[in-house]
Amino acid sequence: MTTKMAINAKDIFRNQHRLIRFIEQSIRLCSNQSLKAAQHQREQKASADFQITAQVDAQYTSAPEPIKHDQNVGHQFRASQLSVRLAAPEQLQMKPDSDEDLGFGRLFTDHMLKIYYHRNLGGWQRPEITPLENLVMHPAAKVLHYAVELFEGMKAYRGVDGKIRIFRPDMNMNRMNLAAQRSGLPTFEGKEFVQCLSRLLSIDSEWVPHTDTASLYIRPTLIGIDPTLGVASSDSALLYTILSPVGSYFKTGSSGAVSLLADPSYVRAWPGGVGNRKMGSNYAPTINVQKEAAAKGLQQVLWLYGEEHQLTEVGTMNIFMFYVNDQGEQELITPPLSGLILPGITRDSILRMTRQWGKFKVTEGNITMPQVCELLNQGRLLELFGAGTACVVSPVNRINYLGQDLYIPTMEQEKPVHELIRETLTDIQYGKVDHPWSVVID
Amino acid sequence: MSVLLRRNSSQLRLMLSSGGQVTRLSSSDGASTAEPPSAVKKPTQAKKPNTPPIVPDTDIKKSVFISQSSDVFTNLALEDWLYKNFDFSHHHVLLLWANDPCVVIGRHQNPFTEANVSRLVERGITLARRNSGGGAVYHDLGNLNCTFFAPRERYDRKYNLNIVTRALFREWAINAEINERDDIVVRNKKISGTAAKLGHPNCYHHCTILASANKLHLGESLAREPANYISRATASVPSPIRNLVDVNKSVNVAQLRSAVGYEYLRTAATALEDGGRTQMMKQRGFQLINPTEKWFPGIEELRANYSSWDWVIGKTPKFTVEKDLDVKGDDQGMKLKLSVEVEAGLMKEIGIQLPQSEQVVPVVTPLQGKPYNEENLNGIIGALKLVNASNVKQAMNGSV
Repeated sequence: MTTKMAINAKDIFRNQHRLIRFIEQSIRLCSNQSLKAAQHQREQKASADFQITAQVDAQYTSAPEPIKHDQNVGHQFRASQLSVRLAAPEQLQMKPDSDEDLGFGRLFTDHMLKIYYHRNLGGWQRPEITPLENLVMHPAAKVLHYAVELFEGMKAYRGVDGKIRIFRPDMNMNRMNLAAQRSGLPTFEGKEFVQCLSRLLSIDSEWVPHTDTASLYIRPTLIGIDPTLGVASSDSALLYTILSPVGSYFKTGSSGAVSLLADPSYVRAWPGGVGNRKMGSNYAPTINVQKEAAAKGLQQVLWLYGEEHQLTEVGTMNIFMFYVNDQGEQELITPPLSGLILPGITRDSILRMTRQWGKFKVTEGNITMPQVCELLNQGRLLELFGAGTACVVSPVNRINYLGQDLYIPTMEQEKPVHELIRETLTDIQYGKVDHPWSVVID
Repeated sequence: MSVLLRRNSSQLRLMLSSGGQVTRLSSSDGASTAEPPSAVKKPTQAKKPNTPPIVPDTDIKKSVFISQSSDVFTNLALEDWLYKNFDFSHHHVLLLWANDPCVVIGRHQNPFTEANVSRLVERGITLARRNSGGGAVYHDLGNLNCTFFAPRERYDRKYNLNIVTRALFREWAINAEINERDDIVVRNKKISGTAAKLGHPNCYHHCTILASANKLHLGESLAREPANYISRATASVPSPIRNLVDVNKSVNVAQLRSAVGYEYLRTAATALEDGGRTQMMKQRGFQLINPTEKWFPGIEELRANYSSWDWVIGKTPKFTVEKDLDVKGDDQGMKLKLSVEVEAGLMKEIGIQLPQSEQVVPVVTPLQGKPYNEENLNGIIGALKLVNASNVKQAMNGSV
């Protein structure tokens, strides 16, 4: 073999990915038959690679750090102290006939979980499950004045074997406690709370339909109810949970993809703020912006930050971009947890899962709008999607940015990564695969 | 989305332990037997792989399901769905339901010997056939139905009936007793009837409770067309009945639902021991159930079956109905007997039995092969009455 041939061979070897892609693309342009063959081949390759493993590699998963309770929090509550007051038949609410009138968060189940905290009574009080009823509080309650409030969003799924499961509840508990620390609210034992929650779910389990695509939305909330106007830590608080049966989160628009308004004049979070905590105060200011987007015929808001117009979040979800990077390889990128981003559990699950797959590069790094425009022009932008508990992944097909409409080819990909991610996660959530992330509560 | 009825985990357990293959199912009955209420016999267990492990009482949680529907077919379908799909090994369920006016016959009964089917249709009273054995009952919104679900090995009819009698006493101080036929009686009159379905791995026992049913409609509905019926189907045993409201004016179905439900929740799972509030607090409580396809995939198919003619009428065991027929003549009339043989609800043979002879002469009529009902029967009689007696004599003389 001559040196020239050797050099050529080396070139070919180094660029084999590009070559394969080029050939595949050419196949695409040819007849239908070869197109199908190419698809089939890619599917086979894809399904073999993206096999769901029951174990999660140790290096890709780590339990969240245990919360250090403040020393004057006092006594912690235990699930063994739980007392239950069951709803009487007259207090039960009728179940609706179909999903059309369900919407999101309009209907609630028959029971709720309540745990009071009173520093003057030693700390956390005994947890109780009661029929769903109104809360009574003093008009000076801190939550009503200074938004001393934090909440969580998680779901219970009825698995294919009829058992009810929740997804990585320890992550939600950790996130809740971190937010509590920031708001001067008492921290609590996440494990005990999850047990109380399991009891609540078993009582209201008939609110989850017996189909294999139904879920129940869980909303734990922690509020400061101290009846004094001082801007200080709450001496009294209430940790409660309500459950809501959900149909599909978004009204089905065009094929389920959403359109976004990207207006840099609106800022959702800033360095040193609480953009990384799930507090109610982050959401009230977004309502008017959402209204503006709707008025322009757009479905969600794409939150930008800084002079570079960094993409931070989509509506109430984290954002992911799948593209071809400068080295010519496929890459999945999401903004890092710099303080502006809510550490989503779906986000974390996607990162761990895709890193374990090892099929493409996975990065946590900043994305800017100019970058998006450039990638779009070069045809290197493949998919853009949001990720959250409510709908797992939400593909984006259009962004309205500085008066211009950018069309994103998310839905035009042959075997979209976001679809694969959705399938894998839902398979875990509905118990089709046995996985440590999905906890059976029955 | 294919939504076949799933095997529940306890069925899977049985299948796997007996080395059977796990496949998607559409109906689950293993050896389901309908037990007639009068017999106190132990049903033979056709196939018994390994007995499931004994679950201690403390691990069993109870729920009371209240159906939102008052349509008898929907409620029967719901009962069937739970029986086929639910896992009761750690979760016992009492289903409470009430229907709009209807007559419900047992699985092996003949509706025509129990009621006047044509008149029911006229008066808008639904006729339904349930899956369990036993006799015919009249339901309306003043009657509460209770279905006790449990795994097969925990079937205990006495326990269930005692829950009802205790509830009646606790709420209204009504003294109710259980007689040898497993009916609940108050002062010697029946206020409840019982039937059961025993299968693998689940079973259910259901009973009615007459709170404030319309006794007049009840009597009228369960009256059959006068005729001679030769039938091997299960016959109902008529008994004098009473409404609870006649015993205590404040009884009503809503309160009865609550009373029976609470009694069920506060009693231990397999022993008749009252655990009071502490026991009740450990249970899963009351739940409203909406029996639609959205909540219970596959229920529409079950309902379609229950409401089909093939099930309600078509499942009637073969029988013959004979009715006297007077034919007028010039000098004297003749007494003939119309005989109709009905199979699978259709009139197979229609004939006239001549006087002084055993012979049955077939009648040619377009009604042959058509569904049987009282209206059709009387229609044939009406048509034959127009025949002149002398013509009949002539025909007879010719044939003899």
